[in-house]
Amino acid sequence: MTITKVQVQQAWTIARIEMRRAFLSKRGLWVYLLALFPAVAFFGHGLQMKFMEERWSRNGLTQARVVDSFTKGEKVDEILKRAPNPSFDHEWTNRREDEGDRDDKDRKTQPEEPQRRRAISYYDGQRVIDLRFTNGVLVEKHVRFFRDPTDDRRVFAVIFQFFYLRLAIFFGCLGIFMNLFRGEMLDKTLHFWFLTPVRREVLLAGKYLAGLVASTVIFGGGALLGYAAMLWPNTGVDAQAFIAAAGWSHAFWYAAAATLGCLGYGSVFLAAGLLLKNPIIPAAVILLWESINNFLPAALQKLSVLYYLQSLCPESALIDEQQPLLRLLLAPAAPASKSLAVLGLVLVTALVLWAASRAVTRIEINYSTE
Amino acid sequence: MKGTEVIFEDVSKFYGEVLGVNKVTLHIPPGITSLVGPNGSGKTTLMNLMTGLIHPGRGSITVLGLSPRDPEQLMRVTGYATQFDSAPRWATGMEFVSTGLTLYGYSPTEARDRAWQALEQVGLTEAAGRKVAGYSKGMRQRVRLAQAIAHDPQVLVLDEPLNGLDPLVRAETISLFRRYAAEGRHVILSSHVLQEVDLISDQVILIANGMIVAEGEIRGVRDEMSEHPSQFIIRCRDASRIASLLFCEDHVTEIKMNDDRLGLLVLTRNREEFSRALTRIALAGHVIDGVIPSDESVDALYEYLIGGGRA
Repeated sequence: MTITKVQVQQAWTIARIEMRRAFLSKRGLWVYLLALFPAVAFFGHGLQMKFMEERWSRNGLTQARVVDSFTKGEKVDEILKRAPNPSFDHEWTNRREDEGDRDDKDRKTQPEEPQRRRAISYYDGQRVIDLRFTNGVLVEKHVRFFRDPTDDRRVFAVIFQFFYLRLAIFFGCLGIFMNLFRGEMLDKTLHFWFLTPVRREVLLAGKYLAGLVASTVIFGGGALLGYAAMLWPNTGVDAQAFIAAAGWSHAFWYAAAATLGCLGYGSVFLAAGLLLKNPIIPAAVILLWESINNFLPAALQKLSVLYYLQSLCPESALIDEQQPLLRLLLAPAAPASKSLAVLGLVLVTALVLWAASRAVTRIEINYSTE
Repeated sequence: MKGTEVIFEDVSKFYGEVLGVNKVTLHIPPGITSLVGPNGSGKTTLMNLMTGLIHPGRGSITVLGLSPRDPEQLMRVTGYATQFDSAPRWATGMEFVSTGLTLYGYSPTEARDRAWQALEQVGLTEAAGRKVAGYSKGMRQRVRLAQAIAHDPQVLVLDEPLNGLDPLVRAETISLFRRYAAEGRHVILSSHVLQEVDLISDQVILIANGMIVAEGEIRGVRDEMSEHPSQFIIRCRDASRIASLLFCEDHVTEIKMNDDRLGLLVLTRNREEFSRALTRIALAGHVIDGVIPSDESVDALYEYLIGGGRA
C-alpha cells in the first residue's frame, strides 16, 4: 500500500479532531491526576524544604567545621560558646524512676530524680545537627542531611519506574487509547468516521497520532514537571553541578521513556480497544505480565515494554538493601542499550499497529451488541 | 449498466446465529427506491451492507461499480443518513457537517460553505451554531440528512429519513429526494410510513425475514405476484347480474356486493383476463359506471406479501 499525500492530510485532520477528545474528555480527567502526581508530590516536598530551610536558617548558618567539632561529653556552655546561635534550642526537666526499684512491686516508688534535658540543633546549610544534653552534657549527636540531591534523584527514579511507568502511563494510555475506538462505539459515533472517504488504516493512524500526541504531552510533560519539581529546591553547588553535567540528559531520557511508554502501551491498548469489548481483561493481563516482569528469568523480562522503558531510565531504582526477601526474589536482567531499547519499542509498536490495522478493516458497526 | 446500479449478488449476512439478510440479489437502478418491511426484516442491514458499515458473510455488493470495502472511493459518491440517533457531544450543527467535509479535501472555507448549503436545504441554518446534542429529534434527523448530502453524492442512502419531521419539512425533504432522483441519482430509503413510500417511490423492495419478497415498480410488483388476487370496485346499476357473469370467470375468486346493490368488490387472480371479461360484459349491454383498483397501495400489497396472502 502506497501512502498518498491526501491520506497523510486526512490522518492529520483526524488527529486534530481527535485531540480534542483525547485532551478534553471528561472521562479522562483522571489521566491528568496520574500524570501530575509526581510533580505535585515533589513540588509539595520542595515547598516544605524551603519552609524548613527558612526556619532553620532564621538564626543564621553555623560553619560546618564548628558543628563537626562537637563531641559527646562536652558541656553545653562550651558548645554554645563556639556556636552561640543554634537554629533550635529547647530545655526541659524530666523525672524518671530509679532503675533498681522497678522490679520491687511491694515498695513504694522512689521519688523521681530530676534531670535537666536540652535539645539544640544547628544548620550548616546542608546538614541539620541535633544535639541532646542531659544535665548539661552532650549525650547524643545526630547528623542528617537536610538536602540530599542524590537521595532526591533516587526517590525520583523509584517513583518514575514503579509508579509512573508501571501505573500512571500504563493506566493513562489505557484510558486515552482504548477510548479512541471503544469510546466511540459506546457513544455510537464511530460510524461517522466509517462513512467518510477515508481508509480504515488512515483512520487508525489519525486516531493513534491523536492519542500519542495527547499522551506524550500529558505524560512527557508530567515527567519533566516532576523532574523540575524534584530539582527545584536543590540550589546547592553540588546540585547545580549535577544539573550542568547530567541534568538535561536525565530530563531528556525520562521524557523519552515516558514518550516511548505512550508509544508502546498506546499501540497495545489501541489494538485491544479494537479487538476486545472489555478493557479490564487486557489491562489485567498486561499489568500482571509487566508487574511480574522483574521476577521472571532474564530472557522473559525482555518480552515486556517495561524492560525497555527501564533500560532508558538514566538512574536505576535500586531496591532498598533492608528488604532482603525482595532482593532474593528479584533478578533484574541487564538493561538493554538505549538504542536497542528504542529500536525494540518501535518495532513492537509497529508490529502491534500492523495487527490493529488488519483488525480495523474487519470491524463492523453493530452498536446493539456493545 | 454495472457502473450505474447498486448491485447485491447472492448476499447473506448473519449476526452470529441471527439472520440479517439471506441470499439477496438486487439490482437497484437510479431513482427513488424504497425498502419496505417490518422491524427486524433486514432493511437497515441492507443499507449498512451497501455502505460498508458491515460486511457480508457471503456474496458481493457493488455501488456504482465500487466495493463497500473501499470507503476512500465509495464514500465520495455515497451519502448515508443512518438511524443511529447520536452525534459527537462537542459538535455544533455546522461543525458536525463541515468537519466531515474536510476529509473530502475541501478547504475549511469550502467545507463551511458546503455545510451551510446543506443545512439550508434541510432548513437548519438558524440552529447551525447550536450543539447537536441539544437538538430535537427532528432536528437531529435533519442534520444527519444535511451531512449525508453535503458532498453532493450520487447515491443517497437514508434509513427512515422522514421519521420525526413535521409536515412542512417532510414535504420539503420529499421534494429534495425527487430533485435528486430527477438528476439521475439513487435515493435509497427505508420507511414504515407506507403511504409516503407509495407516493414518492419509483421502485419498491419488499423485504421480510431477511429475504426479498418482491422488487420493482409498485404496479410491476403486483403483476409479478400473479397469485395475489387483485381487488377492484365496480360501480354499476345491475350488480347482481354482473356478479353472476363474473362468477363464470375462472380467475375471479371472490365477489362481494355493496349494501346499496350498486357496486361490487371483486377479487381476481388475473388482471388481464378480468379486464377482458369486463369488456365483454360492457359490450353485452350492461352498464358499468366505473372500475377502481382498490388495493394498489403498498399497504395492501405489503400486507398480502408479508402476511402470507391474507389480503
